[in-house]
Amino acid sequence: MNLKGLLNSTTIADRILLFVLILLSLSGIIFIKEVLPKGHTVRIEVNGHLVYLLPIEKDRIVSVKGSVGNTIIEIKDHKVRITESPCDNKLCILQGWIEKGSIVCLPNRVIVIISSQEDELNKRVDAITG
Amino acid sequence: MQLQDKYRIALLSAYALALHGFESLLPTPIPWLKLGLANIITLTTLILYGFRAALMVTLIRVVLGSLFTGTFLGPAFILSMGGGVTSTLSMGIVLSLMPRLFGPVGLSLIAALFHNISQLFLAYVLFIQRIEAILLITPVIIFLGTLTGSMNGIVSDMLIKNLKKTN
Amino acid sequence: MREKFKVQCSMFNVLVSIFLLFTIHYSLFTLYGCSSQKEKVYRKNTILMDTLVTITVVSNSKDSAEKAIDSAFFEIEKLEKLFNFFSSDSEISLINKNAGIFEVSVSPDTLDIIDKALYISEKTEGAFDATIGAVITLYDFYKKVKPEDGAIKKNLPLVNYKYVTIDKNKLTVFLKKKGMLIDLGGISKGYAADKAVDTLKRKGIHSGLVSVAGDIRAFGLKPDGMPWKIGIRNPRAKGQKDDILATLELRDMAISTSGDYERYFIHDVKRYHHLINPGTGYPAEGCQSVSVITTEGALTDAFATGIFILGPEKGIKTLEKMGFDGIIVDSQGKVHITSHIRGKVEFKRSS
Repeated sequence: MNLKGLLNSTTIADRILLFVLILLSLSGIIFIKEVLPKGHTVRIEVNGHLVYLLPIEKDRIVSVKGSVGNTIIEIKDHKVRITESPCDNKLCILQGWIEKGSIVCLPNRVIVIISSQEDELNKRVDAITG
Repeated sequence: MQLQDKYRIALLSAYALALHGFESLLPTPIPWLKLGLANIITLTTLILYGFRAALMVTLIRVVLGSLFTGTFLGPAFILSMGGGVTSTLSMGIVLSLMPRLFGPVGLSLIAALFHNISQLFLAYVLFIQRIEAILLITPVIIFLGTLTGSMNGIVSDMLIKNLKKTN
Repeated sequence: MREKFKVQCSMFNVLVSIFLLFTIHYSLFTLYGCSSQKEKVYRKNTILMDTLVTITVVSNSKDSAEKAIDSAFFEIEKLEKLFNFFSSDSEISLINKNAGIFEVSVSPDTLDIIDKALYISEKTEGAFDATIGAVITLYDFYKKVKPEDGAIKKNLPLVNYKYVTIDKNKLTVFLKKKGMLIDLGGISKGYAADKAVDTLKRKGIHSGLVSVAGDIRAFGLKPDGMPWKIGIRNPRAKGQKDDILATLELRDMAISTSGDYERYFIHDVKRYHHLINPGTGYPAEGCQSVSVITTEGALTDAFATGIFILGPEKGIKTLEKMGFDGIIVDSQGKVHITSHIRGKVEFKRSS
């Protein structure tokens, strides 16, 4: 079997179809991530234990029990905030809506982290200082 | 149906089944990703002996294959049946509407494309209702399917030429 | 039967082609990297030392990764108990309560960290000073209260690292003046990151990342063979907390950043932040943020504070003298960088 024989046995339509399929699927692989919602998840941890792992796309309000009392977390329009907290300083509420990064409520030991998917993690940074 | 046709279908089904079984022994890192080797036989059958024979070979291969691997009527069977029938139908329709437009390679590409689309659709409806996950893997699967599809088409082409020579 | 034989002959061709198919597929599979024995990144978060602690390790087993992380967390928790300024039963509180009275016996870790703190005070000419406690307690960053000038003046003589004596043989620490307070807040997080890395290594982890708030220590490489990528926060980020000024890659190094944006309040258009100059008793001016890079977390943590207080020009000189690397954003927003890492830091265009 040689290359010439191979070319002779395919029609022009075959070759066009192959070319179009490869082009479409490859550009699909490259661009679909841009088109799709970012696929971030909201991790809610209490005392180092994972309590909720929620998609950021779906609006909802959840309540978690921390060391002091209940913290209420709201997810809306791809953003997250803490609406109620039993802590004294209410710094977590003051932080307002976040789209990335984390909200930490130290007194109630609640951590809310917006984490990207594992493969996206490698493209960005592994840790932030400051 | 003549006896010779039955004999042919049985033989071709056996080949399809052997390739199907061989393929299922290989580890698949991505679920629902298959080489589609059995389609070599389906395509050859379609071109040499017509649509009815090709559909028979596909059905026999899917049913017997699932019986051998113990997945009959299970989720894998539904995926396999959906993909097999859709791809055979797509090839049959294209061949009957435009008999001279596509060669074996083109038909094999069409089969791979429709096989993957139907399986992705079934997987979405039956198993994972997360459309973004499906959309994310769709181009990857279609790309891989295009590679395997063209390879399978080349093999079918060789097989058809060999068989025509003997006849 | 002749036909059957021929079919079998052509099956040989088929098999050759199948072999080709497999080679193609196999290379594709390895590209997608789905082998189960492969090393993966495991990450856990917790709250310790009143901050977010994140440990990332590379391991081929989830179980051993989590066990190692948990023992590193436990190590940090142990140190937290020793160093906590606010807890009355910590060794630091014991030293502070006995200031001017007794020398206090302490554990090797406490002696070690105070020894390091004194060394850094010396190298920064007192810009970093762990005895800042007597002045920093006057500030309340939660209630946003600026202390009376008189109170600062009164307590300032109690801030001087030279009044701390340690005895390495007897394992004792003594503060010479009554009312002195040691506050290890400027060094303990980096020190904890060091100790956590030691623990991870003892547990057989050869690559990982420990971050105790902004104090990060990296060792080994990621599963893809790349060094760990660290982002430095933009000190004047608008809105988004995770706006990044620059990124750099770290291997077997630590980095810490001190910034005036971490804990602060605005009083009479002046920014009162937590980086208090031990010489004046007031927040240091001249920098927005200072990042220090060297091999040990305890050094980067305390030097970041000390260099911030020294200011950009003197800060860069001190870093060059020590052989450390650093990135300083001065109060005008201008970036100063040590010569060794020039070109190795990638700045984001947006900032």
